[in-house]
Amino acid sequence: MNANRQQLIFIHLSLLLALLLTLIPWPPTVQLFMPHWTALIIAYWSLHDDGRRVLLYAFAYGLILDVLMGSLLGKHGMSLVALCFLVTKSAKQLRMTSFWQLLMMVVVLLFNDLIIRLFIDWVSYGYLPEWQDFLPLLTVILIWPWLNYILDRIYAALRHR
Amino acid sequence: MEALSQQQKLTHSPLFKFILLEFICLILMVADKNSQITQPLRNSLSWVAMPIIKVIDWPGQAYQTIEVAIARQANLIEDNNKLKQQLLESQLKVQQNVSLLAENIRLREMLATSQELPLKTSVAFVTDIAQTGKRQHIVINQGRRDGLYKGQPVLSLSGVIGQVDILADHYAHVILITDPNHVMPTEILRTGLRTLAYGNGHNLILKEVPTSAEIHSGDVLITSGFGGRFPRGLTVATLTDVSESPQRDFQIAQALPGGSLSQLTEVFLVWPEQVQAIP
Repeated sequence: MNANRQQLIFIHLSLLLALLLTLIPWPPTVQLFMPHWTALIIAYWSLHDDGRRVLLYAFAYGLILDVLMGSLLGKHGMSLVALCFLVTKSAKQLRMTSFWQLLMMVVVLLFNDLIIRLFIDWVSYGYLPEWQDFLPLLTVILIWPWLNYILDRIYAALRHR
Repeated sequence: MEALSQQQKLTHSPLFKFILLEFICLILMVADKNSQITQPLRNSLSWVAMPIIKVIDWPGQAYQTIEVAIARQANLIEDNNKLKQQLLESQLKVQQNVSLLAENIRLREMLATSQELPLKTSVAFVTDIAQTGKRQHIVINQGRRDGLYKGQPVLSLSGVIGQVDILADHYAHVILITDPNHVMPTEILRTGLRTLAYGNGHNLILKEVPTSAEIHSGDVLITSGFGGRFPRGLTVATLTDVSESPQRDFQIAQALPGGSLSQLTEVFLVWPEQVQAIP
């Protein structure tokens, strides 16, 4: 029970950290390449922790992100819930696949998430996507392995205590 | 009994949850776009968001505190003297303005035109929340509790910078005039030509200036007061570049807002009072 609670705290801490990373004022060039941290973390947790209510967390943190970013209420919620559902659905297969396949799948799923957000922007205020909007996907390729590794290590340490 | 357990299974399945949550999100988005119904939800969520904003602001504030603590006294004295000098200069200008104001009011009374009352203002600080490239927003540390309202003009020392767009209890998102979605009614100070200023991401662009109108780069753009959002006569920008549209039917002018909009630290909020018409 205690370990369980620690894991729960760890999930929330990582998600809060993702929110902070999204909102920190980076220099404009770095900002262009900034991955959608919350989506990465949600993807990780829905991959490794399907027993929990990650879907609800995705929804809640999506709404908080919307309020913080001043976007349409529910925009990030919708994209994160979709991402979480898709990952949870195929979590068993994804955990079995090789490193590169998993990486490819994560990029594809995050691309889907990006498309949902761009579509909502387009419907709500006629925003037309530019090629710069897709740069974060490149950073994801670099960041995902490290993020996966670090979170795996901490998660394992918590489980085997 | 079996039907019940089946129903329970249904509500526990991820697919059901997924569809339910997506449906809620969809309803929220439609409601948020079209009305103010979601405002209470935004306000209650802002209680969660507030600590996060505080945490992000904290390093900047700590840096300032440390900077003051470490700064040498000589520097502080120098700064102080500079500020005193500036204060003297601006007070001198105010003195001149007082007589001008009195004269202005007298002339207006003679002409029996509407009178513009002094504006009520308040200062807010800009938080360090990142603006994304797509939308030019800044977050200020005052909200509905401080009497802000949607569409309220926001100024900096060098002129109009935007208007309040999204309100929460303790903070507000300000949409800048350079946001691609922002259009404001303006007037060229020198000629009195009224036109619309569109934001284009970096600066302002005037797309609809007639070819017959006379405009130069260097002309000052002020708010025209049309639309009733911005009070009349506030500086907005200076024209930098005038060219002809590809179809040769309009002149297009670029205008640069005074001061850098990405490096704001404090802004002024304005409550335009009712313009009184003298019968």
